[in-house]
Amino acid sequence: MLYQPQILEEALTLKADLGGDVDALAGGTDLLVALSRGQWRPKNVLDLSRVVERSEIRKADSRFSLAHGVTHAQLTRLPVRALAEAALSIGGPQIRNRGTLAGNLGTASPAGDGCVALLALHAEMELTRAGRGSRRLPVRDFFLDYRRTELRPEELITRVVVPADWTSAWHKIGKRGSVNISVVCAAVARSPQGRFGVAFGSVGPYPLTAPKTEALLNAAALTPELIDEAAAMAQTEVSPISDHRASAAYRRAMCGTLLRRLLTEHFLNGRD
Amino acid sequence: MATTPAPPPVTDKPLIEPSPTPYADPPPSPVGASARRLDGLEKVTGEALYAADFFPREADLFATILRSHEAHAEVLSIDTAPAMKVAGVVGVYTHVDVPGTNRQGLIKRDHPVLVEDRVRYKGDALAVVVATSESAAHAGRDAIRVRYRPLPVVGSIDDALAPKAPKLFPNGNVMGGKRIRKGDADRALAEADVVVSETFQTQTVDHAFLDVEAGIARWDGRTLVIHASGQWVHEERRLIALALGLPIEQVRVIQPATGGAFGGREDLGMQVHVGLAALKHPGKTIALRYDRAESMRARHKRHALRIHYTLGARGDGTLTAAKVTVFSDEGAYASTGPAVIRKASSHATGPYRVPNVHVDVYGVYTNNNPTGAMRGFGACQLAVAYEGMIDRLARKLGMDRVELRRRNLVRSGDAVTTGQVIPLATGVECLDAVMDRFRNGGRPLEPLPPYRRRGWGVSTICFGLGYGDGFPDASRAGVRFTRDGFLEVLTGAVEYGQGLLNMVAQIAAAELGMPIEKARVIWADTGRTLESGSSSATRQTYFTGNAVKRAASELKEEILDIAGTHLHVHPHEIVLRDGLAVTRFGEPRSVPIAELVADGFNRGYELSVKALYKPATLCENFETGQSPRAFITYLFVSHLAQVVVDVETGQVTVERYIACHDVGKAINPQSVDGQITGGVAQGIGMALMEEVVMREGRMANANFTDYILPTFRDVPPVETIILENQDPGGPFGARGVGEPPLIAAVPAVLNAIHDALGVAPHTTPCNPQRVWELLHPEQAEPPADIRFRTAPPHARP
Ligand SMILES: Cc1cc2nc3c(=O)[nH]c(=O)nc-3n(C[C@H](O)[C@H](O)[C@H](O)COP(=O)(O)OP(=O)(O)OC[C@H]3O[C@@H](n4cnc5c(N)ncnc54)[C@H](O)[C@@H]3O)c2cc1C
Repeated sequence: MLYQPQILEEALTLKADLGGDVDALAGGTDLLVALSRGQWRPKNVLDLSRVVERSEIRKADSRFSLAHGVTHAQLTRLPVRALAEAALSIGGPQIRNRGTLAGNLGTASPAGDGCVALLALHAEMELTRAGRGSRRLPVRDFFLDYRRTELRPEELITRVVVPADWTSAWHKIGKRGSVNISVVCAAVARSPQGRFGVAFGSVGPYPLTAPKTEALLNAAALTPELIDEAAAMAQTEVSPISDHRASAAYRRAMCGTLLRRLLTEHFLNGRD
Repeated sequence: MATTPAPPPVTDKPLIEPSPTPYADPPPSPVGASARRLDGLEKVTGEALYAADFFPREADLFATILRSHEAHAEVLSIDTAPAMKVAGVVGVYTHVDVPGTNRQGLIKRDHPVLVEDRVRYKGDALAVVVATSESAAHAGRDAIRVRYRPLPVVGSIDDALAPKAPKLFPNGNVMGGKRIRKGDADRALAEADVVVSETFQTQTVDHAFLDVEAGIARWDGRTLVIHASGQWVHEERRLIALALGLPIEQVRVIQPATGGAFGGREDLGMQVHVGLAALKHPGKTIALRYDRAESMRARHKRHALRIHYTLGARGDGTLTAAKVTVFSDEGAYASTGPAVIRKASSHATGPYRVPNVHVDVYGVYTNNNPTGAMRGFGACQLAVAYEGMIDRLARKLGMDRVELRRRNLVRSGDAVTTGQVIPLATGVECLDAVMDRFRNGGRPLEPLPPYRRRGWGVSTICFGLGYGDGFPDASRAGVRFTRDGFLEVLTGAVEYGQGLLNMVAQIAAAELGMPIEKARVIWADTGRTLESGSSSATRQTYFTGNAVKRAASELKEEILDIAGTHLHVHPHEIVLRDGLAVTRFGEPRSVPIAELVADGFNRGYELSVKALYKPATLCENFETGQSPRAFITYLFVSHLAQVVVDVETGQVTVERYIACHDVGKAINPQSVDGQITGGVAQGIGMALMEEVVMREGRMANANFTDYILPTFRDVPPVETIILENQDPGGPFGARGVGEPPLIAAVPAVLNAIHDALGVAPHTTPCNPQRVWELLHPEQAEPPADIRFRTAPPHARP
């Protein structure tokens, strides 16, 4: 059965009622690939792409609140550098026009570029279950294991909230210039108070943060020496594997390289 | 007073009026014009029918193929009974049901249509399931129970050559070889002032054409008609007839619109399988299609080659000797491997004068996908090696790379690797054109951060077109006028996107003075056209182009004869141009060709001519690899790539690209340009990212998420330079363009990386990790692909 509600409440009620028997479908850019590979055989589908106000972006209290259906194309214009650049690096124009940030979180791929930017930004997300209201959750608490998340079968991701006043930056290594899966990607963000967020993609079972590296950066003023220390530390915090996309050694080394580059180019000497 | 007569008034008018003919300037010939694609409109509007478009609109029944679960195993039993119980399944067929030889393979006929007792790679076909729907066919396929006795998987060249390696074929694991012995390479190397050595490893590449294998077949009790995309319909007909035990005249193969081939359709795909299903269900139209994963897992691939190359030179840069040993992963069956090996060896020293050459090429069976034809066909991998060696040598000598090339490139009258003398060698001209464009053009360079380095690399290659090596190589074509005033060309040759239809139409139209709009092509249908050989080996413009030109010029004689009786002059005094027969001398008078055609039919002319073009090449000597005419003619090409390399991450960006091709004559310049640009894109793919990853005989990346093809972002605008040094034997002087754009592109990119880093790449593709490992060899991890796990053996098998 295909459900195509136009009102969020209706979608939430359906999800709460059917739970695991219905799968949310946003842009479909992950699900349709799974469908054609025979990896997704849904009983019922809840199409969220007709819900009004799904694309809404609100700004309040130096935060952007993004509705569940905000697409990567929309995010490329958001003045939050790491998230905008991550969004611009996703797929090609067609994928960015359809694919959503909520879908990126829902898939929870280790290579989810949007997830990595959100982790660095200490973003929060809102999970809602009809009848029980919403719970706010740091994105950092969302990922549990390989493609396992905090999302319960009765819930939908309704909003993502990102700080609007942080400095942030993003870099991705892939094998080509577009429609480019991350071999490694990294995001760094810093609050106006000087609190850092560091995250990496494709170097663990899910998008990873680097808390020890963050602590190092939070503790002292940024200098080239500290950057070197942080880059070395970050390499100890990731757990990449070798597969047909790249070797573990390369990925680990790149975490250091990208962190050093991002910190040097965007954060040292108060740049950006 | 005497008056003098007034002088005549001065005017600007010449004393003799020019005749009011519209032909003061001859109209442009269709040859050399970028005429609109004959198949363009129907393709961009979606009206053209590709094989998958017949599907399912014309199908009565659907077939699918069960493929091996094992890379290497004895097949103990195939239990089809559970499949027959699946709703909708109407037939399940195994090797016992195949009425003919049950064999395919372009050279060795060693590839079972349906495996009898032993599977040799994961794409091996075991059974064909026919059902009333595609999903029922798939369910039936999945219900079949196969019992195997697994055998050790021979996953790499090293595995295959190991002393205790399981024998994949009764004669062992070495499929065959090819050698060249010219002069005394060992001695010349010992005496050389400088010697450079390297081991190269090129990767397995997939053709990745857009239009995956599909087809429909129908058997009406008399003729088996198969609509499927290949590259040589007449050979396909022979192979299908043999495999299915049918007389050849009972098989008809028709090519639908086709989206790319690149050599990937030279071997049969599903044609025999769908044909078998049709034979078992007379009167029904059977449809069979692959998905992308099956297309990638079943089809042959480009050979991965390991090339040990030693090059010697005098102190002044003059090349003296090359010693080359090549091991090629042939995969499970021979495919066109024996020919690929020969092409690799005959192009081992490329466009350079090397007096002493010693080449050994070995093809080795493994349990990987069979490897066979792909654009470049062995010559491509060797170009990676010889062009890489020239740059290594230049560094060692402290010599300019371009100068070193100019010094050693064959000039007209010099011989290439095979000893064949090249009457018109234009490698130097191509190289100079590319360098001139590079130095006198291009945008100002953006400054780079310290971790990005810029470099440029150049390549010059030569390529022998056609099958060569004494292999029979012929094209036939028909040219005729129709009663509705069209010029019709009939050719068995295949159009798969390269522009063949325009090539033949423009040649025929030029020869007959007809506008291209009045030309039509009937092509690649064994029921209606004569054999024109394969659309491969860069041969169709030369071979079928010549056959068409011959037929057209004979037809022209008939038209001229008829025109003579209309214009009352000798036929020699008439030219055909722009749809008219026009008198050559005196006051031009003309008559429309359409009128002559109508009159000709009324007077009983057939106005239909067939012609054969079949030039001979000479077999390379078995011991020495030498032949005075290994190939009918050679193409020369030079490319230049400018790249930026991120030395910390290993990412490579191609910033600028220049390609110069001497094509003899560009029949359709826009098509030539398109072929060059596409080939460069494919070459950039091979140089930087494309790679089939095999694990224990299974392709680990059989999808476009992980088989990385270049995108628009990865290919800069290609600045093409077309040289036209006419080939004396080619139609209108044309040679061809097909494969060389890819061949030259790979080494140009690799040499640019070498220039940027100061370290020379030896393994393709140069993806970020590989480039990084070049700079950090201590960090290099064996790749996931088991074929590259061990050090290359330097010993001969
Ligand atoms: C060609 C191609 C290129 C790609 N490139 C990239 C890339 O570079 N980087 C990258 O990160 N990804 C990439 N992707 C993956 C994909 O586009 C992204 O992950 C995208 O963000 C998914 O969003 P979607 O809206 O299409 O999700 P869908 O496919 O609709 O859904 C994905 C998952 O999220 C769940 N979901 C969706 N919305 C909600 C919700 N509101 N509440 C709860 N669960 C929800 C779904 O149930 C499903 O499990 C690519 C995909 C393709 C096909």
